[in-house]
Amino acid sequence: MTTITRRGLGALSVAGAGLAGPWHPARAQAAGTIKLGFTTALTGPFNEFGEGIRRGAELAVGEANRQGGILGRQVELAEVLDDQLVPDRAVQNMRRILDNQEIAGLMCPSGSGPSLAIVDMVVADGRPIINPQAQTPSIIYPDGADKPPRPNVFSVAISNTVEAEKLAIVLAGYRRIGIVHESTGYGVTGAELVKQAVLAQRPDARLTMESYNQRAQDMTAQLVRVQRARAEAMLVIGLGADFAVIRRNMSRLNINLALFGTSGAVTVPYLAGAGDLVVGTKAASYIVLGRRPMPAATRTFVDLYRAAYGTDRWYGPDAANPLISLANTVGSGYDCIGLMMDAIRRAGSTEKGAIIGALNATKDYPGASVASISFTPQQHTALRPEDLGIYQMLKRDDRVVLELLE
Amino acid sequence: MDDFFFSLVLAGISVGAVYALVALGLNLTFWTTRALNFGQGSLMMLCAMLTVHLAAQGLALLLAVLGALFIIGGLGIFIERFAVRPALKGAGSMGWVVSTLGFGIFLQGVAAKWFGAQAVAFPDILFSAQDYVSVFGQYVSLQYLVVLLVAVALILLLELFVRKTVWGQAVHAVSLDPELAGVQGIPVRRIILGSFIASSLLAGVAGLLIAQIGGTVDPAFGFDLVLLGFVAAVFGGMGSSVGALVGGLVVGLTSKLVGGYISTAAEHAIAFALLMAMLALRPQGLFGRIEVSKA
Repeated sequence: MTTITRRGLGALSVAGAGLAGPWHPARAQAAGTIKLGFTTALTGPFNEFGEGIRRGAELAVGEANRQGGILGRQVELAEVLDDQLVPDRAVQNMRRILDNQEIAGLMCPSGSGPSLAIVDMVVADGRPIINPQAQTPSIIYPDGADKPPRPNVFSVAISNTVEAEKLAIVLAGYRRIGIVHESTGYGVTGAELVKQAVLAQRPDARLTMESYNQRAQDMTAQLVRVQRARAEAMLVIGLGADFAVIRRNMSRLNINLALFGTSGAVTVPYLAGAGDLVVGTKAASYIVLGRRPMPAATRTFVDLYRAAYGTDRWYGPDAANPLISLANTVGSGYDCIGLMMDAIRRAGSTEKGAIIGALNATKDYPGASVASISFTPQQHTALRPEDLGIYQMLKRDDRVVLELLE
Repeated sequence: MDDFFFSLVLAGISVGAVYALVALGLNLTFWTTRALNFGQGSLMMLCAMLTVHLAAQGLALLLAVLGALFIIGGLGIFIERFAVRPALKGAGSMGWVVSTLGFGIFLQGVAAKWFGAQAVAFPDILFSAQDYVSVFGQYVSLQYLVVLLVAVALILLLELFVRKTVWGQAVHAVSLDPELAGVQGIPVRRIILGSFIASSLLAGVAGLLIAQIGGTVDPAFGFDLVLLGFVAAVFGGMGSSVGALVGGLVVGLTSKLVGGYISTAAEHAIAFALLMAMLALRPQGLFGRIEVSKA
């Protein structure tokens, strides 16, 4: 288990504040820092998301500290633990984080499995937690979207429900649709929601659903079944590396369909693994990074990221046009911590009831991944269908870019 | 021929050929030491990762492949010396299961540290996913064809080596009775070492073949493949080259046909159902021989 604690991230964010302006370590030390914590996939095959969340959180904390902190105190990421997206490890880590009574706010792990594994213990504890990426709606609404949410669990993630609604709008243009999804909770729930959303828009649609195990190296059986069903379009619900396998497999089988992917699928591994074959793929993802000009908060986040990490794997090679997935992998972590700090500031306290009350009263918070975030006691998810856009992958100046279609 | 059936068969025999290569790699060390290298999956991963890394340093792709295979061969020596030989000192010891698996996990960690934990793009070797030939009006991917031909050619060459050369006969002698082979002047230690090098190289080639099918490689790559290779080896008969080939093809074909005609959810599970059925009905596998222990 990799552990980055006070000495690492705390020192980094505090040092950032020291560089930027007048800061009084003695006073801050006396008051104590505001401590936040989370467990995520910092290493392992899915650290694309977890490492992104960590970077986003660091940027948000560094920025707040540069501006003098919250309630006159510096903010510290006091517990940042690695779960490799393994639910058992996430539970162990969250237990350790919750045992630290100084932690004022939490962030969910980067995936539905670990998030579902830890959510009940966090609800029992009562401290506020915000979900950056896990898409399964039951993390927030365990009894259905029309029932009350878990009282202390909020989300800025793209939920399967909203993504399904958005994708259904474009998929409903086809009568025969194939859905190829991973066999995880995310894939199965997502496929079912898309199916319902498409049928609601187009009752005569014929959907073929096929599943695969993550990391499968050949998807011939799934693809020929979709082909045999005479599908005109295909949606892939899964992660980028598997989507690359599917796209290459389609090429080997000479299968040419209108191809759609979820936001989790159109990430760097898809672009890297499928190369030019990605051209033509359409996907739903956060709209703000595709807008020109970008909203101010998104622009600030993008500039902060580029200043800290350059045009790296998460940002992409084009300084003027960051990868859309930057919002999903880094921006959501930035927003979670930003929202938590904003709530603490408005609450004027680090007491859990006060922070939850302030989160419930969040109105039009300018996020990096969602332009305007509002919560109410009944509405704990930030994302609405209009916060997602449909993108198409194009080749421009010898580079693959995602262009916003609407 | 029905397109649907043809596509499934072609994919089945191509991935099956890779399982056969892995199974043969497992067989090689089984012949000489009665031990299996469960770190094969990590060697597959490392070979593909090293190829990507060396190519990224500006080395020509062919040289990158050769360089990666050279390192993987060297790791075969390391595995024999430090993971298997000590574990075999105790009579009947099964410590090699844990030590080879542990070494594989160690290699995953090393790869994650050096190359990063994310999936990286693997370059097309010889052909891209779009290259194909038309056979009787059917669209046949050249990548699948290369995988199949390379795997079958390597298996046949190895079989010829074992059957027709003096060194092959020496391997056979060591597999039957290493003590007697040693008494007769056969360099048992070198043959065991050679089997681990060859086994590692086969894993490396299998890794390269399957990585170009998927298009990406990451540190966790290869683990599932070694499991399916093990199923192929047991199904065909542990220690039999023909069994490895037949086992690999049966596992590959059955998985794809079940996935295509019944349910894709059953595609993976059917391989293990085959394993259980074979262990229940014919534990020595299709082409294996029942071992008789000397009193």
